[in-house]
Amino acid sequence: MSTAVHLEGITKRFPGVVANDEVDLEVEEGSVHALLGENGAGKTTLMNVLYGLYQPEGGTVHLHGEPREFDTPRDAIDAGIGMIHQHFMLVDTLTTAENIVLGHEPRKWFGLAMDREQAERDVRDLSERYGFDVDPTARVEDVSVGVQQRVEILKALYGGADVLILDEPTAVLTPQEVEDLFEVFEELAAEDKTIIFITHKLGEAMEAADDITVLRDGKNVGTVDADGTSREELAELMVGREVLLEADKDPVEMGDVGLEVSNLRVTDNRGVEQVSGVNISAREGEVFGIAGVDGNGQSELVEAITGLTTPDEGSVAFEGRDVTDLSRRERIDAGLAYVPEDRQERGLVMEFDLVENGLLGSQHTSEFADGGRIDWGHTRNHAEDIIEEYDVRPPNADAEAESLSGGNQQKFVVGREFARDPEVVVASHPTRGVDVGSIEFIHERILDLRRAGKTILLVSSKLDEVQQLSDRLGVMHEGEIVDVVDPERVTEEELGLLMAGEIPEDAPSIADAPGGER
Amino acid sequence: MSYAEPSRKRRWLAGLAALVVAALAAVELFFPASPVGEIVAIIDANYVRSVLRLTVPIAFAALGGIFAEKSGVINIGLEGLLIISAFTSIAVAGVISGGTPSQFQLWIGFWVAVLASVLFALLFAVICIEFKADQIIAGLAVWLIALGLAPFASKVIWGQVNSPPVATLNNFDLLVVEANPPVVMMLISVPAAWYALNRTSFGRWIEASGENPKALDTVGVDVRKVRYAGVLLSGFFSGLGGAGLALGRVGQFIGGGATMVNGRGWIGITAYLFGNYNPLGAFGASFLFASLDALQIRLQQLGYNIPSELIGIIPYVTVVVVLAFVGHTRIPAAAGDHYESGEE
Repeated sequence: MSTAVHLEGITKRFPGVVANDEVDLEVEEGSVHALLGENGAGKTTLMNVLYGLYQPEGGTVHLHGEPREFDTPRDAIDAGIGMIHQHFMLVDTLTTAENIVLGHEPRKWFGLAMDREQAERDVRDLSERYGFDVDPTARVEDVSVGVQQRVEILKALYGGADVLILDEPTAVLTPQEVEDLFEVFEELAAEDKTIIFITHKLGEAMEAADDITVLRDGKNVGTVDADGTSREELAELMVGREVLLEADKDPVEMGDVGLEVSNLRVTDNRGVEQVSGVNISAREGEVFGIAGVDGNGQSELVEAITGLTTPDEGSVAFEGRDVTDLSRRERIDAGLAYVPEDRQERGLVMEFDLVENGLLGSQHTSEFADGGRIDWGHTRNHAEDIIEEYDVRPPNADAEAESLSGGNQQKFVVGREFARDPEVVVASHPTRGVDVGSIEFIHERILDLRRAGKTILLVSSKLDEVQQLSDRLGVMHEGEIVDVVDPERVTEEELGLLMAGEIPEDAPSIADAPGGER
Repeated sequence: MSYAEPSRKRRWLAGLAALVVAALAAVELFFPASPVGEIVAIIDANYVRSVLRLTVPIAFAALGGIFAEKSGVINIGLEGLLIISAFTSIAVAGVISGGTPSQFQLWIGFWVAVLASVLFALLFAVICIEFKADQIIAGLAVWLIALGLAPFASKVIWGQVNSPPVATLNNFDLLVVEANPPVVMMLISVPAAWYALNRTSFGRWIEASGENPKALDTVGVDVRKVRYAGVLLSGFFSGLGGAGLALGRVGQFIGGGATMVNGRGWIGITAYLFGNYNPLGAFGASFLFASLDALQIRLQQLGYNIPSELIGIIPYVTVVVVLAFVGHTRIPAAAGDHYESGEE
């Protein structure tokens, strides 16, 4: 096999940072290559150099053995490179076929009209050739995200690309769609297309790639064969030290019931019932996990517990005290900490600096504001404590929240919430978009809270996360908790069935009593 | 799912309108002496012809607005472009002929007026696309400048804000009907615009430029060029509308008050919103608004005194009702946003 892409000594600087420091990368033709690294390791920058969006300060790009210089993406596209960004470049109001041929429309009548039949035929042929299921006449806004991604891939192929770059392609997909995407990779590689995909997920790199290149702090720290490596080796390459992938969960003495949810029903603002009679009884010192495919009522359940929405029926109690009719603020006062699933929408005010963001939720307490005046000195110290303890980067309390990367925003939100000294913690996707090193750190903090006898409700779509951290695991499907299982004994297959709403015969169910007895 | 319903509502409304027309026709047929019958009796071929002439400036402004806004540049200066071209057509025809222009000289005035409108639109495009000015403010400026400049130039040429009567373009025989040239141009332009938007590559580019310009940029089509084309087309169509109003119907320039254009550019905007950026729908709405205007004139001739101001607000009320209750006029996602190639 020959080399499709060869980057040699690529250096790219931005004011104050070296994003790529003499990076070498070699990608075989017809192979799937994963570019693995933590957030901010320089993966996307490197690919933007290859795609002609950035001009490197040093180094050479070779394509199929020839040194090339790409001043604009146009040059790269003409040379057969296609890039699929995280945010799709599609026109919602046009059909999939119209999007795919955009800019290269087949014409008829002396170029006067677009030949739609031809376009649809071309797209159908291309789609069938790679085993894609794309309807050329469907409007993009009417098809699923997974199909939109395939439309993006087809668009690149239609434009003549033989090297495809995908930036975090799985971030927006469901587990099933991820599987489909990896099959697509195989089909494409079999047709001699070269695929480079960016990811920060170890498992995906190992599953889908032939070779894996790990970037850390802008440097290539190693290229490994996907079959000859281990998760531990990759994690160590990424982070630069040994990483505990399995959180250490020691036995903890459980106390009284800390969070009691009884027969909760929630209807969303479109009038659809999203939570249909959920019962949860979690004890102090227990992590109660909720697993499920996103959109099966987890968000609404969390909103009802935290006071963001009013349930139609049922009750919520913290430490035996009914809080169903209490407001958000009263619930915080009653000992609630909440890590919201969307940090930018609900966790932070993006235009505020970290000092102000650290105050949110506590602005009325006597600790921070006596007699209505905010004690800014104390507030600043508080924010700086969070920044230090949670290793938020850059360590600058005056930085605006929006200037931080997603992972660092998340660390700050988690730090603020856990610093409340709560009794009940509701953590919704606490490690979404966070890199491996920080995931480990956040997991340890959650286990610290568990050790301290707090009651923790953990909602996550990452199965390994809920399985590792939870003492009991409830699986939600269409607004109901289908079953509560022992996370240590349940298999991924059984969880998969439960998430689809079926109860497998020998699932390790636990009745609603902690301790594992039926 | 949310898209099927409004279109069904629209169809339902169209059906209702057809029913009302049928009922009115029945009243006219069986009770010709009743007031309703009398009113309906005015609707004859002559009435339709006069409505079509009244539709010309509205529909052309609407067509122009569609091209500009679908490409991502909201052009609310259409009213100004109509004023510029209406004035220029009369001024050029009047000045080159010394007062009584021939048909040929009228046509020179017509096309110079279209050119003037295109140049004005080019100025607007440069301000919005190159200098990234706020499109709404720039559009208002186009209107306000035209509103001041045209009467002023009129005073310089004729010593007053109104020109003396000049002449109108002759009708010509088209098969069996006597055709008014601007009306014929309009009836050709509407389906042509629809075809261009829905069946050509250029139409896809216009759509992409207003919905997701970055998608267009990354496949190698220059978004700036597409947007220039959209705005220049709005100048071209508005030019046809303004010159068509002045030379096709009125025969002079009236510069007092809101000028002879009198809000028709604004009504053009409501017409294309009403028509959901579809040239055919926009034409239908323009025709509807113009027919209300013509009806009011006829009713006054019949002695029914309905204040013209009330009729005048009907388009605006209608568009508010349509936008609020019928819903789903889909405004292009990137309309009003500046686009810089290579932005991350």
